[in-house]
Amino acid sequence: MKPVKIAMMGMNHGHTRKYYQTLRENKKLQWVASCAEDEKAKEVYELYKNGVPCYLDPEEMLADHPDIEAVVIASANDRHYGQMKFCAERGIHILSMKIPTFDLEEYDRMIEMVDRAKIVCQVELEMHYNPVVQRLKEVIASGELGKILSIQATNITLSPVWAFPWQGVPEASYGKRVPLKDGDSRFRGGALCDHPHIFDMVRWLTGAEFEYVFAQTAPNLREDLVVEDMLAAVGKMTDGTSFLFDPSWSRMEERIPVPGPGWEVFPKRMEVNFTITGEKGMLQCDCFGPNVFHNGAPNDRLTVQYTYFDEWIGLIDEFVDCIRNNKQPKINLKWHRHTIECMNACYRSIARNQCVRV
Amino acid sequence: MIEKMNDALAFLREKYGFADGYIEKDARNYFLVLPGEKRVQLLFWRAERRFIELKKIIEDGTLERVSTFRFAHFSGKKSMEELLFTELDILRYFSGSTVESIFAVMTGNAVCNLIVRLANGMSCTVECGVKLPPEKDDIDRHEIIAGRGTASDRMVDTQVPQSSMYLWTENGEKRFTDVDMELFGLPDEAVFVVRSACMLLGNPELVQDWEKDAIMAENAVRAALESSSSSQIVFTGKRESEI
Repeated sequence: MKPVKIAMMGMNHGHTRKYYQTLRENKKLQWVASCAEDEKAKEVYELYKNGVPCYLDPEEMLADHPDIEAVVIASANDRHYGQMKFCAERGIHILSMKIPTFDLEEYDRMIEMVDRAKIVCQVELEMHYNPVVQRLKEVIASGELGKILSIQATNITLSPVWAFPWQGVPEASYGKRVPLKDGDSRFRGGALCDHPHIFDMVRWLTGAEFEYVFAQTAPNLREDLVVEDMLAAVGKMTDGTSFLFDPSWSRMEERIPVPGPGWEVFPKRMEVNFTITGEKGMLQCDCFGPNVFHNGAPNDRLTVQYTYFDEWIGLIDEFVDCIRNNKQPKINLKWHRHTIECMNACYRSIARNQCVRV
Repeated sequence: MIEKMNDALAFLREKYGFADGYIEKDARNYFLVLPGEKRVQLLFWRAERRFIELKKIIEDGTLERVSTFRFAHFSGKKSMEELLFTELDILRYFSGSTVESIFAVMTGNAVCNLIVRLANGMSCTVECGVKLPPEKDDIDRHEIIAGRGTASDRMVDTQVPQSSMYLWTENGEKRFTDVDMELFGLPDEAVFVVRSACMLLGNPELVQDWEKDAIMAENAVRAALESSSSSQIVFTGKRESEI
């Protein structure tokens, strides 16, 4: 199979660096160029010494590499629409970050332009390529637990805003400045925007859609943030499954400009755990554990050193397979729209302090 | 299982462009067979991510002034010699050092307690036992104690390995720890064997090191057994220099 010539764009999304190893090693790809949003993103990119040229102007990148077939759009949420349009108009396949946009009109225009251009647009929800999640799907599908009654899930992390400042800027993260609720000085665009995975996974595991949701914020841990960092959501699926989600930035971090050792204050910087009750029993799982631990440099405090399998390998394999074999990715724009709708419903619920139908 | 492992290896070889090679097993060990029928013993535990990360923690300066390794390995499926071979090789893998001396105390062939001195001055204790019920998964622990920092594959306040998933139904408890999406469905040991074969195929310069390391681990096991029989410290320096 001819390798897919791929590029990256933006380079200031928190997941940018997760692609580097796979793009270098996967023989089905040829990583030919990158295009950073600005000088700062370019400087950080160059720290990783990928050996792939980095541009600041996408037109210039394409002029030098007219054979680029696909782009990973690794940028702030408010840049996605313009960059997708740029790619779609040129027939370039797209790997989108986890939040294409929260604006559903804009979202529908994305769907339309992708359909019109007949390109692949895969949304990066990497949990689907995690072996623990794969086991979870198999156990649920086997019927061993019976009908699912309830799913509780955490998707809790440190806050990436100090390394990726746009995640703390409402306009860049949520798309516009919308107060969380009357009398609250904070705006939409914080931890919830960073954590769509469990909203997506409950749909996969139950095969049902959201019926209603109630969400509530808590006082921020980081008082200088203008977006929410602590919240919880509870609700019901159309098949009767109840759920409780924690998508907070509840793990504290050192305010360092580039992610690296010592970033975490709490030992485990990221956790996605599920507790699932079915009619025939229950299960608990930790999608990123067990690991190894140390209390050495740089901060001499207990730290989880992760051992989980690189999810970006499967993610990129699927993307290439869809491009070469004209397939629809499992997490495509149309599928993912319902997840975004529920996340928006969480914000409406926070604003109204009442349950919202999705 | 060997056939499945070779299918998995062929998949990864094709995907990542590795050289030719296939896996074989004798009564005890796995081997990678390279073109020309050269056989290299697979020290497959080296492909376990927890050991890769612990080694990284030692080598990248996260720990400073490593003093002591505390290892334990209990099994109901493996022989004492297999446990000792594995643990003494992990010691070599982590420390990068040869063994200088070993003092071992065994009770029959059921348990073995070792104190090892490494040529670089570090110390190691190893506890091994083979009296777990055969249906039980192995229990092990690897702790590295340094002047700056301690690292371990077992979380503080836990005595036994944890799993990624626990399932409780009327049929009892099941546990799962899936570690590899590309090789999903293969048992853990098979995953590590295939991955270790890939380590050699992707880094042919390791072949000679692994051959030497396998001999060193075998010598160290012999030294442990000899020490236990004689109740004497056994110095292995001469044997290592002959490799």
